Amino acid sequence: MNQLLDSAILISIFAGMLRVMTPILFAAIGELITQRAGIWNMGVEGTMLMGAFTAYFVATSTGSIWLATLAAIAAGGVMGLLIALLTASLKVDHFISGLAINLLIAGLTLYWFRIYIEGRPQPTFQGFTNLALPWLSELPLLGPILFNQRFLTYLALLSVPGVWFLLYRTRWGLEIRALGENPRVLDLRGHSVTARQYGAILFGSMMTGLGGGFLMLGFSDRFLADITAGRGWLAIVAIIAGRWRPYRTLGAVTVFALLESLATHVQVLGLGVPHQLFLALPYLVSLFILMGLRGNTHQPARLGLPYFR
Amino acid sequence: MSTTSLERSRRLRFERRLSSSIGWTLTTYGVAVALSLLLTLGLIVMSGADPIKAVSALLKGGFGSVKAITDTMARATPLILTGLATVVAYRAQIWNIGQEGQVYAGAMAAFGAMLWIGAAPFWVLLPVLVMAAIMGGMLLGALTAVLKSRFSVNEIIATVMMNYLVVLLLSWLIGGGPWTEVGATVVYQQSAAFPEDSWLPYLLGSKKLHLGFVLALMAAFACHILLKRTALGYEIRAMGANPVALSYRGTNVKTTLLIVMMISGALAAMAGFSEAFGNTHRLRSDTLMGFGYTGILIAMIGGLTPWGTVVAALIFGGLESGALYMKLTAKVPGALVPTMEGILMLTFLCAGVLARYRLVWGTSK
Repeated sequence: MNQLLDSAILISIFAGMLRVMTPILFAAIGELITQRAGIWNMGVEGTMLMGAFTAYFVATSTGSIWLATLAAIAAGGVMGLLIALLTASLKVDHFISGLAINLLIAGLTLYWFRIYIEGRPQPTFQGFTNLALPWLSELPLLGPILFNQRFLTYLALLSVPGVWFLLYRTRWGLEIRALGENPRVLDLRGHSVTARQYGAILFGSMMTGLGGGFLMLGFSDRFLADITAGRGWLAIVAIIAGRWRPYRTLGAVTVFALLESLATHVQVLGLGVPHQLFLALPYLVSLFILMGLRGNTHQPARLGLPYFR
Repeated sequence: MSTTSLERSRRLRFERRLSSSIGWTLTTYGVAVALSLLLTLGLIVMSGADPIKAVSALLKGGFGSVKAITDTMARATPLILTGLATVVAYRAQIWNIGQEGQVYAGAMAAFGAMLWIGAAPFWVLLPVLVMAAIMGGMLLGALTAVLKSRFSVNEIIATVMMNYLVVLLLSWLIGGGPWTEVGATVVYQQSAAFPEDSWLPYLLGSKKLHLGFVLALMAAFACHILLKRTALGYEIRAMGANPVALSYRGTNVKTTLLIVMMISGALAAMAGFSEAFGNTHRLRSDTLMGFGYTGILIAMIGGLTPWGTVVAALIFGGLESGALYMKLTAKVPGALVPTMEGILMLTFLCAGVLARYRLVWGTSK
């Protein structure tokens, strides 16, 4: 255990934490908006997977990771349109439409992936490298942890105050919150509920798609089936644990990311503990967090209930 | 209804139906099937294969010969059981996806029981293994129910987390833990092969179809009786429709929830048991993967009825078993079939909504 206290390893664990929290944070902060608008989107996992596959496809076929990033956002947007069609327009049960989306995308991405690599070795790409911020990255300890990260990690961290400002300081945010609490107020004033729900779902899904894209472009150089491995679900748990507030959600995401980063480091250090135990920790902790809340969650009053005029 | 509907008068729009119409319902579902087939064909074309060749390979591989049909029945066996597990839970509107983990729990509990009692003749072993599997699944189902009723944990999220935990537990048990095959490396992730005394007997001279299929059909019959003919079945259906009314009637909704989840868990666990002891004859993680999720699709496509689920499982079991042949002859990846299931489920969901509306042209009331 002495090794763990070594500052190089400490830096590596915390820097790793910021990197693995990036995809979950994008999804959680985006879906926070969707959920505050009253949509219980359970299709986060599928949307993220779609973003990851699209990023892989575009990065390997065009060679541009920036184009791949944009494509991942666009793929999230397409998924968002589908989710919005089901939940906001057709008023299908939010849970069941999310499940359908996840199952469909798990099959579809695998199918496209198999077609794409048919008869050749799997193509790889050069992902994002670190962007060291001048000055700040030279700070002791904090520098290499916080200020020597991928560009998108900075963006994900900045999106937290961004979304906070949007929700609590703008008219748009007020309308979003009203959608989740009492959509009739908006409807009576002649504002379209459906259009605003579309907007909120699109925003959340595009952020989730971007998270999926980062999962590909920031970590790996090849796609795998089910590469998201539950991160979309962890994003949903983070929102619940964060009681639908941006900064608390960031806190919950940080816990999950720290556990994940610890798991990879333990695997490398080899402490003689089965590595599955560490892989299981985020899921175990999620369950205990949810049990601890006991439904006392301050969730938006109309979350998951379709609005009929 | 309000000013907005006046502004929107004189155009094509949807209006809620007061009663359902069989003709219109059939039309919407027919359109859903046609649209799904069209999209699937599009996907085949995308792969660069000849769609006619691919589809005929798919059908031939699934239903083209006696052997293909018995293979299809074998393939459908776990899907029928996980589908039934979904039917029971979803009819009560408990939208959980714990079937996946319960499949694993069933296989693991049965294997644990087999290690515990050691060598025994098959007809002694069978009831013990079935009981163990059922208890394993019930345990997970009960846990979901308790998490929901006592701790208000959303059942979808709880079951997602439990699925990952169960799969990781098995991964440890057979990948370095006490159940790992002696002499094999950890990477294989498998237990030792089961003694032949524990194998489910093959049926009809097939080398794939086994006793599990009969058990699955018996389970379907039992579910049919349960839902249609028993007080519990009434409560399950009422819980889906109106849980508040059910509790005013004096039913303890929490108890019903617990029972429903235990039955659902037991059914899914049977799928894991029958697959491990009827097909792979050892514990492996990859061969159990996906039955739970596919069962959800199958049950939804089967209209959440037991016999509809059996039919859907046989059709898609056939397509899944034909997918291997299609992959070999037409070079279309087998993942086409789960994709097609996903598309069908989505279009059916939309059709279900549209069936409740009618197309109207003209001014509103």
